[in-house]
Amino acid sequence: MSMLKAILPSLAFLRSRWLGCPLALMLTSTWALAQDKRWGPGEAASDYGYRFHDLFWLITILVSVAFALVVLLLAIPVLRDRERPGHRASFDHGKSLHDKRLTAVISIVTFIILDAWVLVIAMQDLREAYWAIPDAEDPQTYRVEVLAQQWAWNFRAPGVDGEFGTADDIITINELVVPKDRPVSFNMTSKDVIHALFLPEMRMKRDVNPGSINKTWFRPITAGDFTILCAELCGFAHYQMSGKLRVLEQGLFNEWEAEASKLASTAFDADDTEAQWAWDWEE
Amino acid sequence: MTSDHIHPEPTTFLKKHVFSVDHKVIAKQFLWFGLVWLGIGGIMAMMLRWQLANPGVPVPLFGKLLFPRTSGVIDPASYNTLFTMHGTIMIFLGLTPAMIGALGNWSIPLMIGARDMIFPTLNMLSFWTMVMGGAVGFYSLFVPLGATEAGWTGYPTLSTTVGAVGQGETLWAIAVFLIGASSIMGGINYITTVIRLRCPGMHWMRLPLTVWGLFLTSILNVLFIPVIGSAMIILVLDRVFGTTFYVPASIMSGGTGGDPILYQHLFWIFGHPEVYILILPAWGVVCDLLSFFARKPAFGYRASVGAMVAVTVLSAVVYGHHMFTTGLSAMLGESFMLLTMIISVPAEVLFFNWLHTLWKGNLRLTTPMLFAMSVIFVFGLGGLTGIYLATIGTDIFLHDTYFVVGHFHLTMAASALFGTFAAVYFWFPKMFGRMMSERLGKLHFWLSFVPLVIVFCIMFISGYAGMPRRYYDHTSTEYLRPLQHLNVATSVAAFLLGAAQLIFVYNFIKSRWWGEPAPQNPWEVGTLDWTTETPVPHYNFKTIPVVQCGPHEFSNPVLGPDTDWIYQTEKLPG
Amino acid sequence: MNTTGIIELHGEQPVDQAPLETGRDRVNATLGMILFIGSWTMAFGTLFLSFLVLRDKIAVWPPAGIALPSAPIAGIATLVLAASSVFVERASRSLAVAPGAGSDRRASFNSLWITGMLLGLGFALLQAWLWYDLILAGRTQTSGLYESLFFGLTWVHAAHVLVGLFLLSWGLIGSRLRRYGPERRSFISNAALFWHFVGIVWLFLFLGFFVF
Repeated sequence: MSMLKAILPSLAFLRSRWLGCPLALMLTSTWALAQDKRWGPGEAASDYGYRFHDLFWLITILVSVAFALVVLLLAIPVLRDRERPGHRASFDHGKSLHDKRLTAVISIVTFIILDAWVLVIAMQDLREAYWAIPDAEDPQTYRVEVLAQQWAWNFRAPGVDGEFGTADDIITINELVVPKDRPVSFNMTSKDVIHALFLPEMRMKRDVNPGSINKTWFRPITAGDFTILCAELCGFAHYQMSGKLRVLEQGLFNEWEAEASKLASTAFDADDTEAQWAWDWEE
Repeated sequence: MTSDHIHPEPTTFLKKHVFSVDHKVIAKQFLWFGLVWLGIGGIMAMMLRWQLANPGVPVPLFGKLLFPRTSGVIDPASYNTLFTMHGTIMIFLGLTPAMIGALGNWSIPLMIGARDMIFPTLNMLSFWTMVMGGAVGFYSLFVPLGATEAGWTGYPTLSTTVGAVGQGETLWAIAVFLIGASSIMGGINYITTVIRLRCPGMHWMRLPLTVWGLFLTSILNVLFIPVIGSAMIILVLDRVFGTTFYVPASIMSGGTGGDPILYQHLFWIFGHPEVYILILPAWGVVCDLLSFFARKPAFGYRASVGAMVAVTVLSAVVYGHHMFTTGLSAMLGESFMLLTMIISVPAEVLFFNWLHTLWKGNLRLTTPMLFAMSVIFVFGLGGLTGIYLATIGTDIFLHDTYFVVGHFHLTMAASALFGTFAAVYFWFPKMFGRMMSERLGKLHFWLSFVPLVIVFCIMFISGYAGMPRRYYDHTSTEYLRPLQHLNVATSVAAFLLGAAQLIFVYNFIKSRWWGEPAPQNPWEVGTLDWTTETPVPHYNFKTIPVVQCGPHEFSNPVLGPDTDWIYQTEKLPG
Repeated sequence: MNTTGIIELHGEQPVDQAPLETGRDRVNATLGMILFIGSWTMAFGTLFLSFLVLRDKIAVWPPAGIALPSAPIAGIATLVLAASSVFVERASRSLAVAPGAGSDRRASFNSLWITGMLLGLGFALLQAWLWYDLILAGRTQTSGLYESLFFGLTWVHAAHVLVGLFLLSWGLIGSRLRRYGPERRSFISNAALFWHFVGIVWLFLFLGFFVF
């Protein structure tokens, strides 16, 4: 208690305007947010998300064990082999054949456990999911064209007729509506600088480059409202380039699509060539 | 004229301290230069952390001075400038001079028994080119239409006139080019010096590992800095003369244009070796210091050299892992993933050797030793988290989040910085003839190490939670708002880390002028730099030394019970 | 000198007079130059890689229907630069001849070196002609990707030609001041090396733009 009394006067500087205010602000901002804290990315909403989590936790376990070993091997000499009178280091250049073999074996075993294992699973995931972009001709595939710009997302869906470049193409800004449980395939490009389409709940990310078309896909398995972010620095409003991803059950989605297509047709202006972006989906 | 010949000792102030060709003076110039820039880059980091923890709150103390138009609040454009320049400054103007410029200039000639660098004038030129680069970079902050805002990676088309109209970006490219030129000059000098000026008996397998690290770094410098140099020249051509190397034709209107992805390839062909340019000297220093202070030979000297050579070679072929989300083909992506994972084999060899060097040693936990050991810790943490990012499956989500920020700060920033600190604490007595305070040094170590690990470990959590990097304000998005507590915690730890550096500054300046005079060999190590007197005379060695044994003959039984070390110039008894 | 390790420090030679080179010095200087050229090979390699990548984006090569730089002039420029390299190299080698030939040797160095320089200057003029022709036809670096490549790469190369010509003239001045001889020729041989490098880079540009 007396110690606290001794310390308190020295904290008087907190009351000074130039330091106290910011400190108080910082503390309040922390407490204000105390209610909804998050420590992870939340539940995955795409089937790919579960692959990500499996791999992530596998790596985490392997890496934790490896790191714990390193720390242990650091700690033991620090605790045991400190300099003291009469103590002498063991003289060992590590030149013997045994040492060389040990180095090689440990490195290779570590490589196999830490890296090769992960590598094999990752390759499998990539081939089965990430790079297995669904066939654009398949009616099951929901196709979306993305045109990014500083600082907004333009999405173009084919509408009820399933054809791009027609009057009923649904164009939305900063909001994307997709059906649940169907693969959603993207063709993406940018008007100006590089952006990256980042759907955190879907664990999906792909750069959107100007001058070329980048492809990616995901399959939402949960209905609801999700987030669209930009993950590649694109100028000073980069942090505001966010949007909403709505995943609807197929029935609701069909209703939405029909209505949106109808609206789009009424608003369609054939002379506005600026708005007529649509690309070839052929491979 | 090469330095086989003897130069007279300069007498005028200008020739002695400013345009000196003496490697020791140039080393000190590089050190001061690097430390000042590390300070500037550090203050920038503090401002970034301030903004992230308290978005839109004026920066205390000097905010009004720096951002008068917004009465102290960092605006989004300035925020982008700050993190761009923080990266550029820390890498090119902070760590490069402090690690490679200062450490290389100081230790290479002294450790291989030479009287100077082989091209002393080129050496001086290297320093002053870097000063020019620094000046241009600094000036770029104040030009009309704005400083650079495109990130230290400067990806087009954000860095071409499409995304950045200000002259700042052009000047930034020129600054990077000049600093690169300086590094190439240094690299040519170091390589030639190590090849040609090793004293008699100093054959390759007797070189201290510090010299090996610096030698391999120089090779990477000479080979890969030109790549960024050319990339920057093209960027300047695009920006100033209107060429279209990086500017694509619009996908809507068609036509033939350049390719912004080309820049990413060029940048990372350089950028990945750059990581090793910064880390190899630190590894070398760690290899040596662990042995020096464990009073035990460096375990597996040849394996360590081989591992560093392997990393040097491999570093050239793994750059694609920076571009997994760019749109690499499946074949390229998988190849780069595999190659990246292979680079962990030599790293494992090094870790094994380091830990084995400590095992059953006779540890003297001095400040340089603590910093050297902390490199094992932070590089272990950073290296292992690299596995998440080398694996495409996890990188897709973690790319461009704070996970990446935490990873590369631990590997290339913290490891190189702690390696630099270890080197400064270790060579300070020889450099300035005075001892640094051990008590303050240890305080500095603990107050740096603990907050640093906290800062970047929290970043792993926020990155895993999906927080993108380079965001001005994470509270503006609903999804990211619940992560703000992580930002605040990171910032608090970062401020502690920043404040701890004041201890170093105080210790450094106080010891430089008022420290205890240093004995010739305070650490009792046998490399050639400690055989010469303190302060080191103008010509380093009165007679060129002749090396009789390796640098790590500690605790050799043939030395007898009274001593556990021997100079490299002495013959092992028996 | 410091190969034995026991030589005393001071009193080697008069400090105000630059010492003559030893064979060791020449190896050092050449090694430094080779490293420099290796480095610059990477720099030009980068530019050439960019050239190949971007050229691949141009559907028809060389582009049809627009004015192109004149291949015959470029061909002549290539020959001129090659001849220049030959003369510079012969000049550089003539320095190494042991003394005895006396003033003859210097005269032959000067005439060879000056011929090389003039040919280099000729190349620069031909290069300017190439640009001028193209600009007259209304094509500048902003006209399209082909022009970007052509102007961009030849500018960077021409900057090196200028540096090379500067080095050659510096060597000439030094020779006039009787600075070089069999015992002092690192600068000359390094300048010659640099000049050859500039020539080889041009050869690649020539092949890339006009032949393949």
